[in-house]
Amino acid sequence: MTLLVPFYRLMVRPLFREPVRTSLTILAIALGVSVVLAIDLAGGAAAGSFRSSMETLAGDNDLEVVTSGGVPENVVGTLATLPYPIRVSPRIEDYAVIADTKKSLPLIGLDLVAEGSAFAQSESQKPVASQTQDVSEHAFEYLGDADSIWVGSSLGYRAGDRVELLINDQVHSYTVRGVYPDSNGNESAIVMDLAAAQHALARYGRVDRILLKVPETPSPEEWQQRLQAALPAGVEVRPQGTGTNENRRMLAAFRWNLRLLSYISLVVGAFLIYNTISVSVVRRRPEIGIVRALGASKRVILSAFVGEAACFGIAGALVGLPLGRFMATGAVRLMSATVESLYVSSRPGIIELNAGSVFLAFAIGVGVAVASAYSPADEASQVSPVEAMARGRREYDVHVQKARDLWIALALGLAAGAASRAPAIAGKPLLGYLAAILLVVASALAIPAFVEALTSVSSKLLGKLLGIEALLASRSLAASLRRTSVLVGALSTAIAMMTAVGIMVGSFRQTVVVWMEDQLPADLYLRPAGSAAADRHPTLSSGLEEEIAKLPGVAAVDRLRAYEINFENMPATLASADLNVPRVYHNSDFFSGRPKEQVLAELRDSNAVIVSEPFTYKHHLKAGDSLTLSLGETRATFRIADVYYDYSSERGGIFMDRNTMLRYLPDRAPSNLAIYVSPGAQLDVVRTEIEKATTGHRVLMFSNRDLRAEAIRIFDRTFAITYALEAVAVIVAVMGIAGALLALVIDRRRELGLLQFLGAATRQVRKLILVEAGLLGLLANLAGLALGFALSLILIYVINKQSFGWTIRFHWPIEILLGALTVVYAATVFAGLYPAQVAVRLSPVEVVHEE
Amino acid sequence: MPILSLQEVSKDYLTDGQPVHALSSISLNVERGEFVAMVGRSGCGKSTLLNLAGAMDFPTSGNVLLDGVATSSLKDSGLTRLHREKIGFIFQSFQLLHTLTVFENVELPLLLAGKSNPREAARERLAWVELDGLGDRYPHQLSGGQMQRVAIARALIHSPSILLADEPTGNLDTTTGGLILELLRRLTREQNTATIMATHSPEAASLANTLVRLRDGRIQEITRR
Ligand SMILES: Nc1ncnc2c1ncn2[C@@H]1O[C@H](COP(=O)(O)OP(=O)(O)O)[C@@H](O)[C@H]1O
Ligand SMILES: [Mg+2]
Repeated sequence: MTLLVPFYRLMVRPLFREPVRTSLTILAIALGVSVVLAIDLAGGAAAGSFRSSMETLAGDNDLEVVTSGGVPENVVGTLATLPYPIRVSPRIEDYAVIADTKKSLPLIGLDLVAEGSAFAQSESQKPVASQTQDVSEHAFEYLGDADSIWVGSSLGYRAGDRVELLINDQVHSYTVRGVYPDSNGNESAIVMDLAAAQHALARYGRVDRILLKVPETPSPEEWQQRLQAALPAGVEVRPQGTGTNENRRMLAAFRWNLRLLSYISLVVGAFLIYNTISVSVVRRRPEIGIVRALGASKRVILSAFVGEAACFGIAGALVGLPLGRFMATGAVRLMSATVESLYVSSRPGIIELNAGSVFLAFAIGVGVAVASAYSPADEASQVSPVEAMARGRREYDVHVQKARDLWIALALGLAAGAASRAPAIAGKPLLGYLAAILLVVASALAIPAFVEALTSVSSKLLGKLLGIEALLASRSLAASLRRTSVLVGALSTAIAMMTAVGIMVGSFRQTVVVWMEDQLPADLYLRPAGSAAADRHPTLSSGLEEEIAKLPGVAAVDRLRAYEINFENMPATLASADLNVPRVYHNSDFFSGRPKEQVLAELRDSNAVIVSEPFTYKHHLKAGDSLTLSLGETRATFRIADVYYDYSSERGGIFMDRNTMLRYLPDRAPSNLAIYVSPGAQLDVVRTEIEKATTGHRVLMFSNRDLRAEAIRIFDRTFAITYALEAVAVIVAVMGIAGALLALVIDRRRELGLLQFLGAATRQVRKLILVEAGLLGLLANLAGLALGFALSLILIYVINKQSFGWTIRFHWPIEILLGALTVVYAATVFAGLYPAQVAVRLSPVEVVHEE
Repeated sequence: MPILSLQEVSKDYLTDGQPVHALSSISLNVERGEFVAMVGRSGCGKSTLLNLAGAMDFPTSGNVLLDGVATSSLKDSGLTRLHREKIGFIFQSFQLLHTLTVFENVELPLLLAGKSNPREAARERLAWVELDGLGDRYPHQLSGGQMQRVAIARALIHSPSILLADEPTGNLDTTTGGLILELLRRLTREQNTATIMATHSPEAASLANTLVRLRDGRIQEITRR
């Protein structure tokens, strides 16, 4: 306890004397903490929420019955007539758009007539009817009406209101019959009677899910088996909410990768804490000697410096908490948009800053600070009292073992190479990450040798080119080799991450652009205006395609149909198309390299499918293998004819001939139409014709180009958050450079003052500091670019492949990289402006004479 | 005309709101070739006077004329030019840059002034201070006396008309200090500079043409020989 007073006087108080530098260090940690916190909070909010969408009003059931393409309604009858006391609740689950507000909501169809009477008996815990505010006997009159709906209270409707809903490609008018409270976990949704929902969706004879409440004995597993035995092979009985878990599992890789990216800023922050504490140790060598001579033990010295770092960590966490909460708001928006367009329908949940997040902030803030301060603090504790005092204030040269470090770096680099060749562990590219980390450490170790080599060249070259200031700058950077190396290490790590992710995203984008050339061979695409997402496939009214096919100028119409299915505990998309439309293809899209015609010919009218690359990766399948799908009531086996490249979604894709699909799932309504315009016909004219023919239907039509632009827009939005994370890391690094240059100026004030005694103009002093900043930036850019290139290879060929299962082709995004590096470089020089100003304002008389 | 002329110069510092009279109405003329020793207790204002004489600081009242020009009237660029052309400084703790070689230290003022090919001049100055052949060493490879010689060579590199030395022997033993003083006196004569030296050493005082005794910021006596 008594040590707290000297700790405050010797360690904490000096921090207040350099407020700018202290604030920069704290802010750097705060940014690191806040980014990690923001991604953590946002990940929970953006990915946790989809659970509620379809579980709305699902009640306390035990099991659910599902199958691809919908469960035949007679299964409900089968279940109800079993000699078991089970509650059977069939549901339609889809989406509707409120025509006025364009708001997309879950549309849930329940057997209100059957369940309504049950509600009337017991008032508590029952959905809809009992929670409807104006429950009254006559409300039951409307239960079965085709135009009755019940809505969540947060939508602001009242009983009796008319609401227009866009469902698939039709708008229907409904009357609100009641409102249920949707605050307590239930999301606002639109509820209607099962039959009404089937009618609105033109999905007769099928339901999406049957929820089952079974008696407590025997176990739910036992019930699952019993009921499964009573049902057709294709229909699956599983615990309620299994789909939610599957979705969550699918999102795991996405969240995991983002979380790792968020740690970059923290790594950069760690470098800076290391530097801050090193500077503090170097400056206080004589002081340490005195305190040691006065009886302080090594342990006290060690704790003093670790304590100093902990102060930075605590302050950083305090600032980082609200900052992280604030950033989380933006992150949720970006992440949920990505989740929605690439994975699964979702609505962001609320961001909760709870005790856990506070603990996380402090743990990482203090943890990173203490861990990175440990080595300089340990060095401080090794200072012998005699030596430190004898040396007085003389500059102290840190011994850096360049050669040894270079060898270690080489060994680590080789280890990284080996780790990058290893396969994924439990579906996660753990060894890929290890390889990346090893590379970062290797580069940090190689940097002193690199800095020394380059500064010795630059002092000769720049001295000639830029004058004496450049010579002095190079010499001073080389003289404080460790400090310089740490700074270059911090900035180059940030730059490397930026470069690596930049190259990865750029390559990915290019790959997608090239891939899309082949994917969108038709001239026009048509889909229902109803709510669509990666896991929603609204359908077009049947008959529409025939009308369009008859129009003059239309050469052919290709009908595409997609279903959301479940394959071996993972969500997947099952799609089909007419394979009789002649098309022109540019190059091969298949793993086998075979021409498309040949592959598609194999699919025609046969139990053969092609599957997407991410699908094969997730399920460890390859061309020639077979897979068994539950389709309607049946289970059928298909041969994998080939594997196609697919970058549209990480969820796996299975593709078959339309005729094959209709054999199992007879619903003829297509989800999309691809329209080919006859040669010679004018696209605009044909488009207008189609628009006329589709009046009365709410459809969206896109040209080939529109779709491509839209895909790229989604792509860019998906990676916006990645860029934001990179930017924060670079900002942290640049702030670190500013702080470190400030320390450099203060430690070298005697020299800077002396230069003015020797005839230096203030302009020259400023230039000296700016050249140092520029040199640091240059070194960091060079090292960062080299490391970034290596990391990008790991990202593209190891981490991405193992996380998402797709093959990205390498591509240098020259312009983006050049732009980003220029900005970073300018920022580094900019970071030197304030320290340079401080240097200029020093009074030479005072700094030279202070001894 | 004297190369350096102090006319009724006073210098006050504000310390915690209290004015400290570092110098009070000092008047002093120094000619080229004159070797002035300034003595007095620590804190009597010697360093302050040297800073004013070297135009690194400015009087609170009175004038400091260098070659007839008042230092207070000069702007930044004029002052820089003055430092580059007319003034050389020598310090008690040598103030060499440890990252530069002896040659580079000596050349530094010329390089800062934008002159090219300073090596010849540096070689010549090192010969003056009898350090031929040590040009490629780094300061930490030299003895204290050698370091001060390098500092003197540096102060003379641009052939200044005024040489200002603040306790140049303060960090040296008596023998080495004596050699440095001898060197300074010789160079003052040979290079025809006006040399003003603050010192504690009685030996230094005996070598000078002019002895200025300071006390509490005032001139107590001036002795010319
Ligand atoms: N920058 C300053 N601020 C305040 N007081 C100063 C400053 N520099 C010198 N002094 C004061 O001026 C007086 C003369 O100092 P100085 O010229 O350094 O003496 P000397 O060099 O003879 O030892 C001293 O009292 C000192 O405390
Ligand atoms: Mg003094």
